[in-house]
Amino acid sequence: MQRFIPVRRLLTEAKSSLRRLRRCFSQVTQNEVDKSDGFVPKMPSFDYTPPPYTGPSADEILSKRKEYLSPAMFTLYSKPLNIVDGRMQYLFDDKGRRYLDAFGGIATVCCGHCHPDVVEAIVNQTKRLQHSTILYLNHSIADFAEALANKLPGNLKVVFFTNSGTEANELAMMIARLYTGCHDIISLRNAYHGNAAGTMGATAQSNWKFNVIQSGVHHAVNPDPYRGVFGSDGEKYARDVQDLIQFGTSGNIAGFISEAIQGVGGIIELAPGYLPAVYSTIKKAGGLCIADEVQAGFARTGSHFWGFENHGVVPDIVTMAKGIGNGIPLGAVVTTPEIAVVLTRRNYFNTFGGNPVCTAGGLAVLKIIEKEKLQENAFVVGTYLKERLTALKDKYDLIGDVRGRGLMLGVEFVTDQKLKTPAKLETLHIMDQMKEIGVLVGKGGFHGNVFRITPPLCLTKEDADFLVDAMDYIIASM
Amino acid sequence: MAMLQRRILKRTLEEAKARFNFNCNRIRSPGASFSTVTSSSSSAAAEAPDNVLPQLPPFDYQPKPYNGPSADEVLAKRKKFLGPSLFYYYQKPLNIVEGKMQYLFDESGRRYLDAFAGIVTVSCGHCHPEILNAIVEQSKLLQHATTIYLHHAIADFAEVLASKMPGNLKVVYFVNSGSEANELAMLMARLYTGSLGMISLRNAYHGGSSNTIGLTALNTWKYPIPEGEIHHVMNPDPFRGAFGSDATSYAKEVQDHIEYGTSGKVAGFIAETIQGVGGAVELAPGYLKQVYDIVRKAGGVCIADEVQTGFGRTGSHYWGFETQGVIPDVVTMAKGIGNGLPLGAVVTTPEIASVMAQKIQFNTFGGNPVCSAGGLAVLRVIDKEKRQAHCADVGSHLIGRLRSLQDKHDIIGDVRGRGLMVGVEIVTDRKEKTPAKAETAILFEKMRELGVLLGKGGLHGNVFRIKPPMCFTKDDADFLVDALDYAMSKL
Repeated sequence: MQRFIPVRRLLTEAKSSLRRLRRCFSQVTQNEVDKSDGFVPKMPSFDYTPPPYTGPSADEILSKRKEYLSPAMFTLYSKPLNIVDGRMQYLFDDKGRRYLDAFGGIATVCCGHCHPDVVEAIVNQTKRLQHSTILYLNHSIADFAEALANKLPGNLKVVFFTNSGTEANELAMMIARLYTGCHDIISLRNAYHGNAAGTMGATAQSNWKFNVIQSGVHHAVNPDPYRGVFGSDGEKYARDVQDLIQFGTSGNIAGFISEAIQGVGGIIELAPGYLPAVYSTIKKAGGLCIADEVQAGFARTGSHFWGFENHGVVPDIVTMAKGIGNGIPLGAVVTTPEIAVVLTRRNYFNTFGGNPVCTAGGLAVLKIIEKEKLQENAFVVGTYLKERLTALKDKYDLIGDVRGRGLMLGVEFVTDQKLKTPAKLETLHIMDQMKEIGVLVGKGGFHGNVFRITPPLCLTKEDADFLVDAMDYIIASM
Repeated sequence: MAMLQRRILKRTLEEAKARFNFNCNRIRSPGASFSTVTSSSSSAAAEAPDNVLPQLPPFDYQPKPYNGPSADEVLAKRKKFLGPSLFYYYQKPLNIVEGKMQYLFDESGRRYLDAFAGIVTVSCGHCHPEILNAIVEQSKLLQHATTIYLHHAIADFAEVLASKMPGNLKVVYFVNSGSEANELAMLMARLYTGSLGMISLRNAYHGGSSNTIGLTALNTWKYPIPEGEIHHVMNPDPFRGAFGSDATSYAKEVQDHIEYGTSGKVAGFIAETIQGVGGAVELAPGYLKQVYDIVRKAGGVCIADEVQTGFGRTGSHYWGFETQGVIPDVVTMAKGIGNGLPLGAVVTTPEIASVMAQKIQFNTFGGNPVCSAGGLAVLRVIDKEKRQAHCADVGSHLIGRLRSLQDKHDIIGDVRGRGLMVGVEIVTDRKEKTPAKAETAILFEKMRELGVLLGKGGLHGNVFRIKPPMCFTKDDADFLVDALDYAMSKL
């Protein structure tokens, strides 16, 4: 049977598509004319092409996820992205389209996706020995522990390796309770510390707390400069902790845990002066101070290696995960030799913790941060990015607050600057549009109205410009 | 006192020697060579005479030369930077730098038979080429992005894992360890039932986090912290239990606990089918069926901890719980799931999973592309290389030889297990079943010298745990048993 389309039909089709095209172009020019800032921002160039993707499509994956994975598993975006490749600060979808990864797999990929040094360390060690446990010696865990301990101030030099932030915080809380013989732990409202039994108690946002027993944790008023009752007066907030101890506990507590900059809570920097005042209160009550550096650690804040250093304090226990391995499942707890002794009372063991591959990866990360001066880059590019975002805040009423430090930045959207009403729908819209232009950001805050910008620390000024220009472009068109 | 013990030991040794020689003369076949142990058939593989050192089976592989820090250097750093609570095996700890299939290599290039698999974790074999390939290839593409974006690796892996499950067990949660998996299972049980009370077995091990410490029931692993509503029932231990192998009596104890010690309703019950840390204790046959009924009648959820027994290790079945003829409501796994990758999982029914949808539950590293790719490769290797059947085959050979060894040496109180999950309990008195801690420690060291790395377990540390990578051969088994024989004869 002959298969040809009658010429007339061809012509009609051509005419209509031409008409469509013309309409399209005219729409574009119309839009461009409407935008006060001109053209759609362009991503900085990048010399890498991912291999062609021949795996399952987004729809296939989505249907498998619906059938075989948690019903609570969510995706960002109305049309979920199928991310198949990553290189430094960029991600690629199944069509090979490049995106600027401004979320970093949730502040996790610090050196850059598939950073060659990290991949090499992982691959070389995997080929030699993946796993044997600490029942036998292996230099990888020892070398990494030493290098990590050297990054910490004071007498913080005993390391326990775990597989996640949750495991690290759970262990920290247990250590504090054992060391002091007390059970009460204080954390901050709006904090996130993990999803297991103890850490769920320390986590303080209702959408993350299931209706199960979470004992022994008290939540103090959040020293939130933007929304908090005492503004930026750190010492006033600290007095709430004092009251909490004196009225809500026996007067002696196990400890206090906080992030230096709250991550899930929406990039909230603790009010200045808060931590030094609280640490002093906690110590007087016999408690230990735990610094959750899962997101703020590893040079992300730019000015310092650790988030807590920004506040001028030295904790008793430091927990870390996420960035520690550039994405490899690894966590750690670092404390003093004196405190570490409590675990000798019984056997503590973590089968996967400290395995040769993850510790080799971790050591590679530390070396890269130093060699490539990522802390300095986080400071320089982060400061620049924050300045540009602050300028954007002055331009648009929709932006209520710009905050954070280094490459841990937050942009809060409100519908009313005075009332600070969360602009939830607008945030979702902008986030979606950002993706269309090619920027992937994160979302946070109790009301889901805060952009979390926590990219790989190799982000450039050009990337920062692209991000801000994209936001500018989108908000202008709203 | 020590003199007396030594005299008793000497007498035991002489008796053993005499018995051995007698047996030797009985079964020695003419022409059989005793100098090299290479035979793999159980009948001809008689015990090696105690003056001949057993030999490792040959292996065509050369480890890379090692130029890294020495054992002493590593130990010094560990003591300084990893804390006094980080324990290790052996008086003179072993510096393991390389692994290949069922063997490990130390800094001098010496080969050892890995009979413990990094604690039942290296399921397919150290640096198994297919798994290595999957890990390396994925690491070059994308290590981590989290499930907020789509990626095929987690979906493909979940699908294949779910297909290995019976009943309606098909919703998979990926985590990073067995402790995390059991924590999540406990949360599910409590949310789903609205009850608090959990039940686990004495001698169980379910994790080292503060909540799973509550489920764990061995005092050496339990820090003195509040545990919440958790009760430990009598262990259906055929060797040491009060009721021997009488499952019904043990099950009644669970019934009594529920009726007298709870509101009548419980959140759930969790058990390993063969207790690992507890010393390879197989639950009395028929126990789980009865208890699952009792627990379900009390509204509770049944959780099977397959962290050690899963993935074909028991030989007869893919999952440990299948050996007891039950279908749990929640299954937890880790260790062997990734051949050493930090990976864990919880599988449950859609019904139970739905209660978890009330709030946000997220695991940053869980289900990452690299671990998922590795996990999928593990499932494929186990199927392709027929590891489950292999475990049944080699396992029964191993257990058979160990039982013969038990006839020969009085200090072997019990040989138990299934497939390649085997335990050998060492006692000083067969009637009293007195744990032979000192002897176990001596034998443990001796085995290392001979080239076999065993595991240790049981509350008294007097059980050898033999749970090698599942590519362990009959020749390996023979070498292990001959070495044990040799070591015991020299006690």
